[in-house]
Amino acid sequence: MPSRPVPPAARRTRTPRPFAVPPAVPAVGLAAALLAGCSSAGPAAPGGGTGGTPVRGGTLKYAVAVGTSCLDPHVSPGDVTAVIQRNVFDSLVYLDDKGAFHPWLAKSWQISPDARTYTFQLREGVTFHDGTAFDAAAVKANLDHVKDPRTKSLYAASLLGPYTGAEVVDPLTVRVSFAEPYVPFLQAAATPYLGIASPKSLAEKADQLCAGGANSVGTGPFRETEYVKNDHVEFKRNDAYAWAPEGAANQGAPYLDGLTIRFLPEDSVRSGALTSRQVDAAALPVSAVRTVRAAGVEVTRTQNPGVVYSLFLNSTRGALRDERVRRAVQRAVDVDALVKSIYFGEYERAWSPLSPTTPASYEAGLKDALPHDAAAAGRLLDEAGWSARDGDGYRVKDGKRLTLHWPYIASLVRDQRDTLAAGIQADLKKAGVELVRDSIDNGTYFKVYASGDYDLWDNSWVRADPAILAGFYLSANTPAAGGQNVSLSSDPELDGWLTAGAATTDPAARKANYTKAERWAVEHGTVLPLYVTANLIGRSEGVRGLVFDANAWPQFAGVWRTR
Amino acid sequence: MSRFARAALHRLGGAVLVLWGAATLGFLALHLVPGDPVSTLLGGSVTTGSAAVRAEITREFGLDRPLFEQYLTFLGRLLGGDLGRSYQQQQPVSLIIGEQLGPTAELALTAFGLILLFALVSAVTTAGRRRAVRGAASGAELLAISTPPFWLGVLLLTLFSFHLRLFPVAGAEGWESLVLPAVTLAVPFGSLLSQVLREGLESALHEPFALTARSRGIGPLALRGRHALRHALVPAVTLGGWLVGGLLGGTVLVETVFARPGLGRVALDAVTGHDLPVVIGLILLSAAVYLVVNTVVDGLYLLIDPRLRGAGPVREVAA
Repeated sequence: MPSRPVPPAARRTRTPRPFAVPPAVPAVGLAAALLAGCSSAGPAAPGGGTGGTPVRGGTLKYAVAVGTSCLDPHVSPGDVTAVIQRNVFDSLVYLDDKGAFHPWLAKSWQISPDARTYTFQLREGVTFHDGTAFDAAAVKANLDHVKDPRTKSLYAASLLGPYTGAEVVDPLTVRVSFAEPYVPFLQAAATPYLGIASPKSLAEKADQLCAGGANSVGTGPFRETEYVKNDHVEFKRNDAYAWAPEGAANQGAPYLDGLTIRFLPEDSVRSGALTSRQVDAAALPVSAVRTVRAAGVEVTRTQNPGVVYSLFLNSTRGALRDERVRRAVQRAVDVDALVKSIYFGEYERAWSPLSPTTPASYEAGLKDALPHDAAAAGRLLDEAGWSARDGDGYRVKDGKRLTLHWPYIASLVRDQRDTLAAGIQADLKKAGVELVRDSIDNGTYFKVYASGDYDLWDNSWVRADPAILAGFYLSANTPAAGGQNVSLSSDPELDGWLTAGAATTDPAARKANYTKAERWAVEHGTVLPLYVTANLIGRSEGVRGLVFDANAWPQFAGVWRTR
Repeated sequence: MSRFARAALHRLGGAVLVLWGAATLGFLALHLVPGDPVSTLLGGSVTTGSAAVRAEITREFGLDRPLFEQYLTFLGRLLGGDLGRSYQQQQPVSLIIGEQLGPTAELALTAFGLILLFALVSAVTTAGRRRAVRGAASGAELLAISTPPFWLGVLLLTLFSFHLRLFPVAGAEGWESLVLPAVTLAVPFGSLLSQVLREGLESALHEPFALTARSRGIGPLALRGRHALRHALVPAVTLGGWLVGGLLGGTVLVETVFARPGLGRVALDAVTGHDLPVVIGLILLSAAVYLVVNTVVDGLYLLIDPRLRGAGPVREVAA
């Protein structure tokens, strides 16, 4: 989710939040996050240590920063929920880190030319951990469960977009229908949020699904045996597992006997646990990477797809209504220098609101489009009429100081974003713009969010599909309507590209639509992209075969230990 | 009715009042803070079916009804022993608290034991001693009191877990995982208690009875342990009631640093998330703990100071 506050549940970590999907365009996203994440240098990254012959046996302890209040991926929007429950719940299709789809619980699928109907042929012989057989009715039961208001889904339901229903064609064929063309569905279906749970568990344990542990029953490579909130989740190998995604290195049951995911919220404690070998792998904060590397631990870095960590400029309020002022803000901040000095080169400076790793959509041409230029910023502000200065050196017009408000929740600041904000504040001050950071509580924060009573708003969102951009820029997706369009952009042409992007199945046409939207966002001064979020994973030697999916989340089924 | 029965009844009535007041204040406070629970739960964003989801949450938790009606429903359920269901965890509050109570109680009680041990040993052995001894002990304690527990925890972890690897970094399994968190929690409180005890011991040692006892040939340790300590304990016991609150609050921090499960972190989540049923459940639990502690403290006064016995029923009731 966004870097936004989240309900306590997902809190502190990433917090994905859903937003409304306007007709025809789904928009959903996951937050980008940080800490808990994981990732690695890319697929098959050598960092993953894929060399050698896998050995069976042993257990792995993996540490993440925060837990979640609910472990039901159909409900919880947390990235950490997805990382944990991926081990238990398989999906219909698998999206690899290069953006390619592979058969998983579905052997094959067809998309109707109008992209409103998806037909999946399911794999035979798949069973849930409770012995129930996996079939078309199970798929239908899951999708209906997600959509049911009683489930109170905070994210998965938005991934289903304009879902109208699923039809069991025969025991191994299911047809999923949408009211509008919905190209992003395949990517949505690949996420753990639309993972397939045993229909028996959905019916019989409806009120305990959040509690995880043995209540989480899927077809996945591991069975979940225990969940102690704020402490750990325990998994045992599913010996029957024989339906890994096509192309996965390990096509059978996991090599590990067991897997433990521990929650260690303190950054220094998490990295200390890793360097002292009390855990075998951990999601690391950017500040710990150097020390951990120095201690001989291998750290892999994978950039998240989706919306990068960005500062959005509210185009409907005060001085920022003037596009020249917004563009001045973009030019006044030396993002390069800030990102380099604060993140030690671990994070890449962003130029587009979309991450370079978002499949088939990144507008690489935006690089260097708006470099830091204090003089240009000054000229723009002068042109906009903010040429006079007051006693403190801030620009004034009609007796009013050029002041911008940027609200935040102090307890949810992570990733040294407060330092970054202070740097932005200093750069803006040089340009004569006063940046005020308002520290507010959760409740007020969401009120301000919905009312549009802010000038600047930061956010990021992990999703391996450019449809995420619609959540941030479709005019109907205002915060008040549950969307993420915090810049309150409203332009029919922009809406047209975003809608077309979700409706066309031709990859080139899709990309063309989204790159235009990216360009529009930057050129109209609605966003100051800051850095590309990345998952940093430290791994003891002897841990091999760790790979990452399209979201840059770790996959444990193929992990093995040399000793 | 016997004097004892009357005192007990009096105390029980007071306890009910306290619990009712705590529940009501908690209920009001959570309704007065900005932001509504549904928005906080949804995190400011909504899904496709947002309106439907919002309506479902509102209906399920009865948030659409007038505040007074919500309050009465809440009290009614409370009387029946039902603490309600967590908004966020979608689980019964009693279950959530029950699951996480054990580790917190374990931590708090162990720390409490360490505090007593540390304070007694330090105060009894150093009170009234030479300047150097007393000054060193007292100085070390002051330092400990002013050390942020967060920093102390990380320091202990770095030394004993990351480097020496004597204790595990985190979790709540086995006594080893309890040592560092309990010490972190005990050091500042133990130091404070020790200061109070030493002060009391020293003033008692200047009383005429101390001279009398000495003239009877009693040794210095026996004088402190048998006579002076009894005097010093009264202020220390008063402090003990406050200590329980301090320990409960301290667990929030210690549980986070040491990644232990427990009520401290549950409370933190619940408060930030406007998870009203959980917050009220925790308020009631702490009120109950205070009531028990106050009762114990009052009993201890009688035990320690015979002058207080026979003065009629204990007047001050759980407050």
